[in-house]
Amino acid sequence: MEKKVVDARGLACPLPVVNAKKAVGEFKEDGVLAVLVDNEIAVQNLKKFAAQKGLAAAGEKKGEKEYEVTIQVAVNGDPASALAEEAGEEEIACRTDSRKKGLAVVLSANVMGGGEEKLGKALMKAFIFALTRQDVLPETILCYNSGAYLTCEGSDSLDDFKELEADGVNIMTCGTCLDFYGIKEKLAVGTVTNMYDIVETMEQAGAVIRP
Amino acid sequence: MREKRLQLIVTFRTTADAMAMEQACRERKAPGRLIPVPRAISAGCGLAWCAGPDCREVLKGVMQSIGIQEEDMCECMV
Repeated sequence: MEKKVVDARGLACPLPVVNAKKAVGEFKEDGVLAVLVDNEIAVQNLKKFAAQKGLAAAGEKKGEKEYEVTIQVAVNGDPASALAEEAGEEEIACRTDSRKKGLAVVLSANVMGGGEEKLGKALMKAFIFALTRQDVLPETILCYNSGAYLTCEGSDSLDDFKELEADGVNIMTCGTCLDFYGIKEKLAVGTVTNMYDIVETMEQAGAVIRP
Repeated sequence: MREKRLQLIVTFRTTADAMAMEQACRERKAPGRLIPVPRAISAGCGLAWCAGPDCREVLKGVMQSIGIQEEDMCECMV
């Protein structure tokens, strides 16, 4: 089985996809292509590229700014994949990075504002949905206290958070809060964080949005 | 930003009606979700029900069953 590694760290879109495409074309037999990149958006772009080629791909975070996308290369793909590839060939487009550096959104509760809880929950859902529709996205979303419920199974906003994560937004939920509410095992998007990270993120943020 | 798709948008006269719609749809496993009223429909604020364009009749049935009426029902890119 052939194995290749493409180091695309430090390369801007669309170069990681371009280099991966070139490497896939050089396979003489079935094999595995590992592409190293340094951001989540590149991971998404490579997965999209693989899907268009009808190839299986998986992404793994290896370190702070290190991701590995593994593409299973099949030299003689099925005809349906070849057709899909042909149709999608011109459409390989990169997700662009629409995050604003230093912009943090802080969700300190599962409701937006004070007052009636039912309304507050509906407003929070609407806020998170509207966030996904913005041309400019935050770099980070911090969830703590009852805001931790928002990133856990059962939250109506999970799809929105997953979309934001796919766009490279760093979603972090307070571990102490997950533990306190007994929902540690239910975290469904993003990562667990601690008070030091929360403080640092807020300190370093140029702007903090707190609905 | 998420890719926009053509969706059916149901707006209501009151926020309470929009929230009642959400609860009713959830209980009946009817499709859709609550979203802020898209800017293309109104510059004002408010909540709307958003579902696929083919859900018009299902949603009308839900509204009828709980005795609420839509303010408007239209399709737009969301």
